[in-house]
Amino acid sequence: MTKISRRSFNALLGAAGALSLAGGLSACSSGPRVVVVGGGFGGATAAKYLKRYDPSLDVTLIDAQASHFTCPFSNTVLVGMNDMSYIERKFDKLNTMHGVKVYTDMVTAIDPATKVVKTAGGKTFEYDRLIVSPGIDFKWNAIEGYDEAASNVMPHAWKAGPQTALLKKQLEAMPNGGLVVIAPPGNPFRCPPGPYERASLIASYLKKNKPKSKLLILDAKDAFAKDKLFKEGWEKMYDDIIEWVPAAKNGKVTKVNAKDGTVETDFEKFKPAVANIIPPQTAGQIAITAGLADKSGFCPVDPNTFESTLAKNVHVIGDAAIAGDMPKSGYSASSQAKVCAAAIVALFKGEKPLPLSAINTCYSLVAPDYGISVAAVFAVKDGKIASIPNSGGVSPMGANYQFRKKEADFAVGWYQSICQDSWA
Amino acid sequence: MRGFPVTPVLRLALGLALAPLALVGTAQAADQVAVMADACAGCHGTDGHSIGGMPGFSGKKPEELKKVLHDFKSGAREATVMDRIAKAYSVEQLDAIADYFASRKK
Repeated sequence: MTKISRRSFNALLGAAGALSLAGGLSACSSGPRVVVVGGGFGGATAAKYLKRYDPSLDVTLIDAQASHFTCPFSNTVLVGMNDMSYIERKFDKLNTMHGVKVYTDMVTAIDPATKVVKTAGGKTFEYDRLIVSPGIDFKWNAIEGYDEAASNVMPHAWKAGPQTALLKKQLEAMPNGGLVVIAPPGNPFRCPPGPYERASLIASYLKKNKPKSKLLILDAKDAFAKDKLFKEGWEKMYDDIIEWVPAAKNGKVTKVNAKDGTVETDFEKFKPAVANIIPPQTAGQIAITAGLADKSGFCPVDPNTFESTLAKNVHVIGDAAIAGDMPKSGYSASSQAKVCAAAIVALFKGEKPLPLSAINTCYSLVAPDYGISVAAVFAVKDGKIASIPNSGGVSPMGANYQFRKKEADFAVGWYQSICQDSWA
Repeated sequence: MRGFPVTPVLRLALGLALAPLALVGTAQAADQVAVMADACAGCHGTDGHSIGGMPGFSGKKPEELKKVLHDFKSGAREATVMDRIAKAYSVEQLDAIADYFASRKK
């Protein structure tokens, strides 16, 4: 096992292969060491803003993949509005513009006692503080028959990339008149309005390309994010295509069979042309392995610093964290990352961390030219992250075409901005 | 309120010779206003440099930004989402956010 200390690090910079993007500005980073696990919205933003708030920090980002495919806008890729490259985020600018060392490797172990992380590639990284931003993993077999192998037949597409490509391929291959089933999980899960945006955009695709087809949402819940707004749009545009079946009407999927392609609730059995099963979730595997999650499967944290309540000097942000009223969204993760970065800089200086101030703004497309949003601003109240009363909320009901079109345009602007703010 | 502690300034000065402008141009200490304002960057770009269809703040005068934010809060100015967001902040906080973005480099 190779142990990489700060001193020996420069010596390794010349080594080819495993070390990617570790040169550049890192040579002048002589301050405390922060290792960031995960290069999604949370991890990338944290790494960038740590260097922004204190350029002397020695910041290392480790992600298992060479680039990150964002879940936001992956639904537009599914239906051919954008190419896969549109949602691919590379890490090179974190290095060249901000001086973050970037490694492509999978973190397999965290030891808070000795403050080291270990990787599948056999490396050991020492840290003074660690940020864990691993996103989510799935509770395989929570739905009977839905394991990892089944997800290669009935994609979840709830982590973007190959799963997105698989679902897209199935949608393209299905016949006109076929049935699409989307099965969203119960709360909490990543991107609460996401399954319904997906249903909307797939319906928009079917309406245009395969108009005899149907889309059934078999839901484990009786209510969902922005539900009134989605239903208003569906009634207007997809009345003949989308049917939403809540848990109260036996919508919850309890069993699937990847071999014969069937999907079952307690009362009915379906054989869809395309089955998109989105299973219940936990914090990303490394957070579980490292003992950072509680019984809920997610990670309890201090609401102002995101330091784990279960491990000192380890911070958890993004979808993996239990963050009060903040939904599991890319914007939340990115906003939490900045608060966490500022807190870590303060803690290194022996100062009291600042109180949290965070935002979530999230757009959904009901059609390519029809956008809706939800927004909230957060502060800590009674030890929990809470949305500030009498503010925030969702887009108005009954708005005209111009309003919805404007929000669809802002959705694109939002995506461009948050990707710039997080990775560039 | 946004005083720069001595040590980071020195570090920054020392870093000048080595670091490209992109890094030095964005470096700053985090205080309460920065933490509050930087949350806006998710939609409006780092330091308000929007690269897409969201309104950017670069080159805007502080008074101009303050008026827009006050009007979003009061509802005097039509909005899709900013009316909902501005209501979460006090007028003093909105003014501090406006001053923060107006002071960012273009």
